[in-house]
Amino acid sequence: MKFSAKELEGNLNVSPTHPLLDFSWMLGGLIAIIALIYLLLAVGTDLVVEQIPIKAEVWLGERGLAEFPAEADAELQQRLERLLEELAADSDLPEYKFRAYLSSREEVNALALPGGNILVFAGLLDVVESENELAMVLGHELGHFAQRDHLRGLGRGLGLSVAAALLFGEDSAISNLVSRSLLTFQSSYSQQQEEAADAYGLQLLAARYGHVAGAEDFFARSVATAGSRATYLFASHPHPAERVIRLKQLIAAKKYPLGKLEPLADHFTRPATPSAD
Amino acid sequence: MADLILQSLDLIIFLSLVILGYISGSMAEKKHYRSIIQREKELLKLPVLTAEGSFRAGLVKESVLVTGSAVISIDYFKRLMAVLRNLFGGRVKAYESLLDRARREAILRMKAEAKSRGAAIVVNMRLETAAIGKNADRKRQLGSVEAVAYGTAVIYNPR
Repeated sequence: MKFSAKELEGNLNVSPTHPLLDFSWMLGGLIAIIALIYLLLAVGTDLVVEQIPIKAEVWLGERGLAEFPAEADAELQQRLERLLEELAADSDLPEYKFRAYLSSREEVNALALPGGNILVFAGLLDVVESENELAMVLGHELGHFAQRDHLRGLGRGLGLSVAAALLFGEDSAISNLVSRSLLTFQSSYSQQQEEAADAYGLQLLAARYGHVAGAEDFFARSVATAGSRATYLFASHPHPAERVIRLKQLIAAKKYPLGKLEPLADHFTRPATPSAD
Repeated sequence: MADLILQSLDLIIFLSLVILGYISGSMAEKKHYRSIIQREKELLKLPVLTAEGSFRAGLVKESVLVTGSAVISIDYFKRLMAVLRNLFGGRVKAYESLLDRARREAILRMKAEAKSRGAAIVVNMRLETAAIGKNADRKRQLGSVEAVAYGTAVIYNPR
């Protein structure tokens, strides 16, 4: 047999599809799958949350509380609890046994943990200036209980992470990417929850004091330290400036009166310590 | 804005690695294919057979082992494509060109060695493929593929 060299045309071993086209098809499919999972989770969680007994929630809450060591400042705690009880008398949450805990953390924040536990961080007490303001923060957390937001958030967040880990493997780059992009979805949902909780807190404030002075003070003060609005696009909470506007709109719409602010009780104000620097 | 960037730093790093992988990966691939096609033309006259050769007595002066190997790395874009393919199934098109390049480059290097030794033909050519860094995916690193071509270069007696 005579050997005759012959050039081959084309390349059968490599698919001719443009990689970017292939990529966009697969990315589109992935997004569709994620959207479907998210929808199913959202519907499923909302269905389940209504059915979860308070008992189960209390159990969950005890686990959650173990994560945040609460400060044993009895006087401060008692004062907080009394304030809470006064608020809860006006709310429709008789099934919960509300307890307030004080954490020594310097964060300017408060948390609604499952089972009626409200955690106030020490940093918040340093910032708050009036009784009404503190009541607004606590009312806001009670608003989360009224809507059982803490369970909803937990259900969705947990479901999403589990689904991502199942689909793409634990700790893989793609599963990180997916859970991150889902958190972005999540943020607009949770911003709505925050706004609803603000409205609930405002309602409680009006019922407790007969006026709503100080409702937006805390958020107004946070505007300076909050940074630009772009940062809040994917945040779980709306930008404080946004919240102030929303609260003012609500006050105007509901025609809540504005009264005199009550000063913060001495227990809540810490003696000024000279800073090291 | 700076906060936003800091918050999603790993996502930004990942995306830039993917974009870098796509741009530099496809540039390298195009360049490599141009060079492969050109060298294949140059070496076209040197036959390579997978069959055993049979030669009449007195023709063969010498026969030697010639090898050629090439290692081609994947990039983040190709890996992302493959991960997505793992999800949907089907041909992993992103890796096809990788293997094709590795095999052809290995054969070319083997042929170049045969030519430098003055061989007239390479018989009994075999191809092997090996993955380098098989555990790379678990460690979030990139792996590579190696193709080895080897055969027997036959050098004829001068007539």
